[in-house]
Amino acid sequence: MSGWTHVASSTPLSLARSFAFGLLQAAVLLAVAPLLRGVIKKMKAAFQTRQGPPLLQGYYDLAKLLRKEPVRSETASWVFVAGPRIYFATAVAATMLVPVLFAGAPLEQAGGILVLVGLLALGRFTLAIASLDTGSPFGGMGGSREMTVAALAEPALMLGLFTVALWAGSLNLGDLVRTTAQRGPSGHPSELLAAAALFIVLLAEAGRVPVDNPATHLELTMIHEAMVLEYAGPDLALVEWASALKELLFMTLLVNLFLPLGLAASAAPGAIAVSGALYAGKVFFLAVAVTLVESTNAKLRFFRVPELMALSLGLGFLALAIRFL
Amino acid sequence: MSGALDPAAWLPAALALRLGSIGLALGLARRPAASRWAALGGSCLASLLTGALAWSVLATGRAVGGSLLSHTASGFVLSYSVDRLSAWFLLVLALLGIPIAMYSLGYLGHGILARRSPFVAVGFSVLMGAVEMVFAADGIVGFLFAWELMTLANAALVATEHEVGETRRAAFLYLAMSHVATGCLFAGFLILAAAAGSFSFTHVLAGAPVSGARRHAVFLLFLAGFGVKAGVIPLHVWLPEAHPAAPSSISALMSGVVIKTGIYGLFRVCAFGLGPPHPGWGVLILACGGVSAVLGVLYALMQHDLKRLLAYHSIENIGIILLGLGAGMTALSSGRAELAAVGIAASLYHVLNHAVFKGLLFLGAGGVVMATGTRHIEDMGGLAKRMPWTALFFLVGSAAISGLPLLNGFVSEWLLFQAFLFGFQRSPEALVRFLFPVAGALLALTSALAAACFVKAFGVTFLALPRGEGAAKAHESPWVMLAPQAFLAAMCVVLGLVPGFVLEELRGVAASLPGVRPAPEMVRGLFAIAPGPGRFDHLTPPLVALAVVLAAGLAGALSLRAGYRVRRAPTWGCGGELSARTEYTATAFSKPLMMIFSAIYRPTREVQTVGAAYFPREVRYRAEIEPTFERFVYGPLTRGVLAAAERMKVIQAGSLHAYLAYVIALVVSLVLLLWWRG
Repeated sequence: MSGWTHVASSTPLSLARSFAFGLLQAAVLLAVAPLLRGVIKKMKAAFQTRQGPPLLQGYYDLAKLLRKEPVRSETASWVFVAGPRIYFATAVAATMLVPVLFAGAPLEQAGGILVLVGLLALGRFTLAIASLDTGSPFGGMGGSREMTVAALAEPALMLGLFTVALWAGSLNLGDLVRTTAQRGPSGHPSELLAAAALFIVLLAEAGRVPVDNPATHLELTMIHEAMVLEYAGPDLALVEWASALKELLFMTLLVNLFLPLGLAASAAPGAIAVSGALYAGKVFFLAVAVTLVESTNAKLRFFRVPELMALSLGLGFLALAIRFL
Repeated sequence: MSGALDPAAWLPAALALRLGSIGLALGLARRPAASRWAALGGSCLASLLTGALAWSVLATGRAVGGSLLSHTASGFVLSYSVDRLSAWFLLVLALLGIPIAMYSLGYLGHGILARRSPFVAVGFSVLMGAVEMVFAADGIVGFLFAWELMTLANAALVATEHEVGETRRAAFLYLAMSHVATGCLFAGFLILAAAAGSFSFTHVLAGAPVSGARRHAVFLLFLAGFGVKAGVIPLHVWLPEAHPAAPSSISALMSGVVIKTGIYGLFRVCAFGLGPPHPGWGVLILACGGVSAVLGVLYALMQHDLKRLLAYHSIENIGIILLGLGAGMTALSSGRAELAAVGIAASLYHVLNHAVFKGLLFLGAGGVVMATGTRHIEDMGGLAKRMPWTALFFLVGSAAISGLPLLNGFVSEWLLFQAFLFGFQRSPEALVRFLFPVAGALLALTSALAAACFVKAFGVTFLALPRGEGAAKAHESPWVMLAPQAFLAAMCVVLGLVPGFVLEELRGVAASLPGVRPAPEMVRGLFAIAPGPGRFDHLTPPLVALAVVLAAGLAGALSLRAGYRVRRAPTWGCGGELSARTEYTATAFSKPLMMIFSAIYRPTREVQTVGAAYFPREVRYRAEIEPTFERFVYGPLTRGVLAAAERMKVIQAGSLHAYLAYVIALVVSLVLLLWWRG
């Protein structure tokens, strides 16, 4: 993978290869993301001794939604149409910055952690703005709550990521993963604290219990679902797909930052197979953790969420303090 | 000083042009349209000249200077000098001054402003000239003269609509606070001038003529003096009153550049004019920046007056700029020349970016206020369909000020994060290790809250159904007002996509400052930047943009099949009819944050039901936040000053004899004092 050189030495050809690699990686993650949601749903159902929807239900839903006729509000303007597309685009672009199976990210010349967080913020910003476009009170309610939670989660997310990045000496995800993969997990308590902090942020960003309930349409408790309530057909498919991708992206980030084991250093089929199997295992492990949290906790009252985010922020500071002070 | 091609002649030429056009505009005051053209056209040409001068200084790296006025008998010379730091600020001023002047041509011709437009246009030109002189002055006398001229012109412009009591109050508050600030500057400059024995900046600000506790006192005097002008919390109270009260094009100039004169002063004097900064200074600036950024955006979230909201965001952005300066000064005080450059560059980059997007937002807000006749966003809505271009440009500005990628705000905030994190990486001092991550977390919180605020500001103003009659009847602004917005929106994109180009100039500016040595590796071609050598981090925005565009193409392709047969249906109105009354309001949108940060806001609310208890005819709701600084800091201060004035009334008897006696007593005691000490 010679494409991972610095931009100063990059040629149009190597850039084209990076983009092709990036799109391929995004396509793979896009293909897997609905399955992850299906797995979590199935496991949650098992906890409740229900059978649950089929594992592939997410794909059926997407296929159906993409074929359906879009219905849009008479009140809405072009902003409403742009929202899901930009949301989807930023999520897909963000996947290109993250190392998944390889010890490097396809588009690491473009930027690192800050760009990744920025892109996700851009997607959220456009979708929240679009939620105000139909004149329905639900949209505004969801948009307001989503931006509030995001504002509280952002410092915690940054601090957790900074702890890992500063230890590795790079904010670039490719460099960071290569450094930690070489060094191996240190088992330093700071790493555990940072991982816990980021896990809480994952729950918030993915709209999981105890922050949000993805399975509800009760207006008192909805956050993300309220924001996208007015979308239908292909527009909704894009939102759903991008949200699933975002969740997988956060999980990928978490497992590859803290357990960068077995990441392929070359494009050899054997290495990819090993890396793929390990990756699937790690993400599955995290999915089990998310399911456990979802099944054993009640959704927090909205005004208790700040306490959870403060906990995450505190863990982040503590992680930074015990490592560097 | 020979020939028109010598850049040294451009500043005097610009001033002469400005004075000439002002004279012409005053002469034509009876014919407002011609007068506007004279004043604003002249201002545009003068700005072109100063912009070209600034660019030539940045490009060649050679400072340009000369004298504007010399009086042989007294030996007084009013001279100017434009070095790289001045040139950067002059360039920002020109870049914003030209679009604003063009916008004003259309904007000032409407409504109540039309009759007064010659004076507003002249005032604008005077203000521009005064700010140019502030940036170009190279001596205490010239600087303070320009500073006062700027304050007075600005106060006059704030009072444009002086029939409104609030406006008069805002202008008075501005004047009062500005004069206290100027008093601080006078004191600081006199102490320095007495120690250096000269009024020229080259002597006064070269290293430290004073030392020890005196140096700290001088630093604090200047921090207070320049802090008022910049709107640093807790010295900010005039800003959210004065900026909204002025005509919108003036608000754009005030928020975009005039408050940056405070930042310029902090750079020129506090950071680089008093010798190597004490570690405590950097910490103090960082603290001011952090408090201003977070409280600025928190207060902005609670504003539902569009222009007031933007004014509070100016406080937030001044905070961000100070965070960069503070990081730079902290690095400087421990002798890390390369790290200091990152903070300084981030700060100066944000000066430019804030001028561009805040100028854009105020111009857009001006168009909206003109079209709807209200500043209250709860009465707006549905403007995206009625004013599509204004909506698009305002959206670009909103995304840029929220620090979102692909636009300029992101790049300067990225650099600022680098200043903190790269600084953390490279400095083992415990102080840095503690402060920088906290500052980074505050910056993350600030930009996320700003995004929430602009979702509200844009969504409630431009989307869904109009909430008031003014909004329902609104029309798009004329092209003469849209073109400047288009230009500034394009600048938001361009400054976000070619950071290498901008940073190359900033590297030059930083290198010209004492003690700062920017690493050449910061700039990696036109499109890529990094905090320094090595692989700590880098940013190549065009690649990010390309990735997003490709992915957006994918999204378009996926939803293409159904894209051309869309069914339109009314939004479900929760069982009733959908109207503007069912829409989510700005108050409701920011309510969760008001509850969460209630310790800061200390909200009070009042619910009033009219009619029977169970079947009310009307429910009135009022929520208010506590104006903490106004009530607990300025309230007692004002009362104290008034009480003191009451006591001192005795000596103001109104008798001329008494006043003459005071003068004589003062002169005699001064002579005695000199005689005794000498």
